[in-house]
Amino acid sequence: MAANKRIMKELAEINNNPLQGCTIKLAKEDDLNNWDVTMDGPPESPYAGGKFNIQIVLPKEYPFKPPVLTFKTKIYHPNVTNDDKGAMCLGMLRADEWKPPNKIVDVLKLVRAVLAAPQPDDAVEAGIANEFKTDRKAFDKTAQDWVKKYAK
Amino acid sequence: MEESHYLNCKSRAQNYNPPVDLRLLDYVSIYDNNLMCAICRCPFVDPVVLSECDHVFCRDCIRQSWNSNTSYTPLGPRGDCPTCRTPAKLGPRSATSKILVNLVDELVVHCPKRDDGCKAEVRRCEVQDHVNIYCGYTVIECTDDDCTLPVRRKDAAQGCLHFGVSCLSCHKELQKWKLEAHWRSECADRRVHCDMCKSSVFYRDLEAHRKEACPAMSVSCPGKALGCTSRSKRGHAELHAKSCTFAKLAPVLLKQQERLDEQEAAQKEMSRKLEVLEGGFQNMQGILYPPGVETSQRSADNSLTPSLQERLFGSGTAESTTPTGTAAGYDWTESAVDEDAVSPAETMHTAFSSATSPRQRAAPLPPGPRPADLPEPFSSDFDIASPTGFPPPATNGGPYASPLHHLLSMHESLRDEMTRVSSALSELDGRHSMQILNENLRTREEISYLAAQTAGLQRQVHWLTSSALQRQQGRSPTPGASSSGAGGAMMDAGAGAGVEAAVGAVSTAATALRGAARMVNVGGNGSGSGTGTGMRRGTSEEGRTKL
Ligand SMILES: [Zn+2]
Ligand SMILES: [Zn+2]
Ligand SMILES: [Zn+2]
Ligand SMILES: [Zn+2]
Ligand SMILES: [Zn+2]
Ligand SMILES: [Zn+2]
Ligand SMILES: [Zn+2]
Repeated sequence: MAANKRIMKELAEINNNPLQGCTIKLAKEDDLNNWDVTMDGPPESPYAGGKFNIQIVLPKEYPFKPPVLTFKTKIYHPNVTNDDKGAMCLGMLRADEWKPPNKIVDVLKLVRAVLAAPQPDDAVEAGIANEFKTDRKAFDKTAQDWVKKYAK
Repeated sequence: MEESHYLNCKSRAQNYNPPVDLRLLDYVSIYDNNLMCAICRCPFVDPVVLSECDHVFCRDCIRQSWNSNTSYTPLGPRGDCPTCRTPAKLGPRSATSKILVNLVDELVVHCPKRDDGCKAEVRRCEVQDHVNIYCGYTVIECTDDDCTLPVRRKDAAQGCLHFGVSCLSCHKELQKWKLEAHWRSECADRRVHCDMCKSSVFYRDLEAHRKEACPAMSVSCPGKALGCTSRSKRGHAELHAKSCTFAKLAPVLLKQQERLDEQEAAQKEMSRKLEVLEGGFQNMQGILYPPGVETSQRSADNSLTPSLQERLFGSGTAESTTPTGTAAGYDWTESAVDEDAVSPAETMHTAFSSATSPRQRAAPLPPGPRPADLPEPFSSDFDIASPTGFPPPATNGGPYASPLHHLLSMHESLRDEMTRVSSALSELDGRHSMQILNENLRTREEISYLAAQTAGLQRQVHWLTSSALQRQQGRSPTPGASSSGAGGAMMDAGAGAGVEAAVGAVSTAATALRGAARMVNVGGNGSGSGTGTGMRRGTSEEGRTKL
């Protein structure tokens, strides 16, 4: 119950003070634990102009366990798994690094930061990370192509 | 007495009311963020200080955090600080600043029974007492001595309310003590005040009222799609619509938009079909053209082309306009077919019109003013549709004015192909007969040579036979050699008979040869004469240069 209260508070906070480039709503009106986020690709990044649908599932144990974040829109990024799941798991999202005081807003800020600056050393897609490090142009090109193809 | 009543109330209340969870309260006071627990994001409830880092959390929050992160230790609860990850354990209660405790205790909260109707606002440290002792909406045991059912404290004085009644509005059966709650939040037939216009409506109609009838609800201008951003209360909407240009234009423009969409759909269909046709043509072209052949040779009979164009144009009209247009297009087509003699284009065209017709049946365009009546945006396509202004088809390659032109020119080049192929065929035929003729000539020559030879042989044999006969006649008068002469004559006669048989055979062979020669002559168009052969050879050479 206290967890629900906290989630409601966070939702209200984020609605009153929206994060730039993000729209947030509940996937289902009566389910506080399932958030639907639409994030604009950060300008000046290859993802600029894209709209990425991100699903955030808050576990029952939230805030004691980290939220689970998945990209519903395909994205070419070293830190997002290139499969149906589109899972992103990095930094504060890892179970061992998660701290209960972290908020969803912080998570979203992190996601935006990672979109703007991929973390190839923390990658889940080694191939993409390698391309990012060695052939930045090709990486940007593919990322942009994917944006055009999937994230419009 | 006071004391016992208090205890009584307390015990009864606790039967039905769990202790208030302070983290679920709604706060009236605005509180400082520094009073907020980082985990539950509420003002601290029973705050504790961590021994190593001095971070403060609610006792329950930190316990829960550590429990969920495993690491059970017999030395009491310990773990990493959720904020700074310093390993720590809970400090003693005395370590928590009294000031902090007082600050959070002084915060004013709403009674947790607010949703049921309690309007009390109390300090947080007193909320449990309020619920337990004072709140009229707390559920307690019925005051009737024989009844142990629950009742709200404020209703308890009315005596036992545990008897069945039915709701006046919705006729639901329920106990009297629950009636108020039913009225408040459940009954679909209760009357509520619309919070916009203050009129009283049935609860179940509230949604509809807000959406459709509420005069205070703001609605957007009917010209919203065109860009008018004005919103006004429903009551004033008509006034605005009278003055707003967008609103006046909206029906017209929307209708036009609709028509435009229709047009677009029709055009899409058409271009898709064109694509298919083009593909077909290209295939045919690929079959007809071996890739190396020159394309410059253009068809001689252009006479077919105009009629074809007109027919194509007819079906084009049918495509892009209304059903009336279609009918006209068909009439046109049929008359054109009647006029024309049998030609390959004929069949092509019938294929065209039959390909056109089922689609029209499948997607009939709704009746309405013909798009030709519309002014501006159709100009380029409508040039094609107007019978007088049909431009000539584009000739060699180049950008086509429209898909229709493209199709036409393709069609024409296809026809050229057909002509070329047929001329090539006839030429091939000529060459072939020439070859046969040459062959025949040679055979005939050989046969005549053979015939001459045979004639020479015949003559030789004849001469031999006659000389042999003369010898026989000269020898016969000598009697002395009669027996031997007779024997010799017999021998000679035998030889003569053999020679004569040979001559007969040779002559029959000669006749056979002559017959064969005659037959060859007949086969070679019956011209056996030398001049005839010469002429033949001439033609054959002519044929070769032509090829
Ligand atoms: Zn807390
Ligand atoms: Zn700490
Ligand atoms: Zn109360
Ligand atoms: Zn009772
Ligand atoms: Zn009712
Ligand atoms: Zn109203
Ligand atoms: Zn308007």
